[in-house]
Amino acid sequence: MEEVVLRLEGATYRHSVYAPLPLKPWRSIKGPGIFEANISLQKGTILGLVGPNGAGKTTLLRVMAGILPLQTGCVYSGSDDLMRTEQQLRQMVGHMPEQVRWQGRKTVRQALLELGEMRHASEKRIDKLLTLVGLTTRKDSALSELSQGMRQRLTLGVALLGSPKILLLDEPLNGLDPVGAAAFVALLKSLTEKGVSIVLSSHQVEGLIGIIDRLALMHRGHILAEGTLEGVAKSLKLDSKTEIKGTGSPPRFKKYGINPSQVHLEEKNGYWNALLEQAQPHLLTKLVNDGVEITEWSIRQPNVVEMLCAATGQSLEDVGLEVASSAYVPLRTFGGEEE
Amino acid sequence: MNDFKRIVKLAKRLTFERMFSTRMYIMLPVLLLFIPGMAWGFSDPNIVLPGGHQPESAMEVLFYASLGVVFGATMCAVLLSYDGVSRERASGVLELRLSQPMSRAHQSIAMILGSWKAILIPTWLLLLVSVLVVRYRMGEWISLTDFLVYFSSTALILLWYVLFTLLASSYTREQGTAISFGVGMWFLFTFLWALITTMVAFASGVSIGQENDASWVMLEGALDLLSPNGVYHHLLETRLPQIDRGISSWQSWSMGLVWTIIPSWMFIRRMEKILP
Repeated sequence: MEEVVLRLEGATYRHSVYAPLPLKPWRSIKGPGIFEANISLQKGTILGLVGPNGAGKTTLLRVMAGILPLQTGCVYSGSDDLMRTEQQLRQMVGHMPEQVRWQGRKTVRQALLELGEMRHASEKRIDKLLTLVGLTTRKDSALSELSQGMRQRLTLGVALLGSPKILLLDEPLNGLDPVGAAAFVALLKSLTEKGVSIVLSSHQVEGLIGIIDRLALMHRGHILAEGTLEGVAKSLKLDSKTEIKGTGSPPRFKKYGINPSQVHLEEKNGYWNALLEQAQPHLLTKLVNDGVEITEWSIRQPNVVEMLCAATGQSLEDVGLEVASSAYVPLRTFGGEEE
Repeated sequence: MNDFKRIVKLAKRLTFERMFSTRMYIMLPVLLLFIPGMAWGFSDPNIVLPGGHQPESAMEVLFYASLGVVFGATMCAVLLSYDGVSRERASGVLELRLSQPMSRAHQSIAMILGSWKAILIPTWLLLLVSVLVVRYRMGEWISLTDFLVYFSSTALILLWYVLFTLLASSYTREQGTAISFGVGMWFLFTFLWALITTMVAFASGVSIGQENDASWVMLEGALDLLSPNGVYHHLLETRLPQIDRGISSWQSWSMGLVWTIIPSWMFIRRMEKILP
């Protein structure tokens, strides 16, 4: 079993929601957030935190970063070393929030030096970090001059300031071009090889597959499933699927002993596309022998969206469009006004 | 590096950033005109103030010239600090700061010191110029005690305005709301306080604006303790024996302490609980 670096047990944090009454205009109630989250982070692995908008991913990351205090539950360093203060937690965690809008006349290096003061980071360390995140040539550029991708790199640099054991990344691939994203992923992999554990939250779920070692599915503040991709799929009783594309007339799958209700067939301009709910390894030979024109064939693992739908018991539309609860979560927006 | 050194270093960076910001360059001519300019004007040997009064000492001239601090430097303090928290909160940098292992209280102290020093250093330099101007025009130096009281009182009033503005900034998410709070508060204490004093006097049956009426002078003096500008003037008046508004030195300094401690405590508490 791999070494656990951080463990959350029954972690709860609920946002305060303003709910005035005529005689109590200051009244607020507990709203959405995270509810009794249990999660273990293993050394040198990447955990993908996946869920629809408002699922509580950012709140969970902020709790893990020691920014939001736990209302109930405990955080353990390792498997059983109780952490008593958020400051202890912040010591071992590097946090990269979503889309930091760096601005001002301050240079990249000055910004890193300023935040580095809080972690006792030396100038040598800052220069190393600038090289690591690929900003050496822009170190004297003003923050306002940076592109979105460069801002993301700078934020990553800040997250890496104190050589953290744990890195929490909230939507880190946003704003990165494909080459930048690939380089970013390679950097994350190299960090895990050095023993850094990473939690990565993203709504670009398909992009996560090649990156993460483990997956946690979140919905409405709850962690519904956690484990390896295969493990989660298995726990949700999801089979591998067969995807077939062809031309001409599509085959009658009933003939091959496949229940038609388990086949999703689409036809367009002489092409057809069939998704079979189960793995059918011997079907290809039979179809080819029967003269069916196949252009593509694959047996694939259930994807993250399918896992999320299975875990929530909701349809794709329901999971994807149900964002009403997220409207209550105080987000960093310009329209938000006072909390 | 110990925590104190870290606070000082962070404050120094913030001071540097704000002191050389565009808005400081915009405010500098205003400060130049208000502070040494007023010292120049009030130290004119032929000046006659309303009521036929003529300033008698260098300290009295500097007392009148302190209007430059009340009108110019405090506004500059507000304009330099109004986005101290709100801008970083809106941009997400605050979240990065809050995720650092340095305690939030220490971060807040660094923020206060940094914003305060950014306005304090130029104001003190201009006050020094004012002292020299008064010496040049009147041929008289102020005493060392006068100097210390004048400079420390000015430092305190600037600190209070920085604290109120930072506190307001920590409660707002929009820059516009933050600046409205700051300017509104400045307006209240600088212009509207006289109106409040008048209203209280009217409600108390005290004749308004009668400088020879002891009850009006006492009431005005007492109400001034509830305004930072009023406390500032009380502190300066401790060095002007000819002025007696019924408030003793210890009362003035105690209120100065209250105006310092309560907003500082409120700001630090606020920052300890702030959400990114």
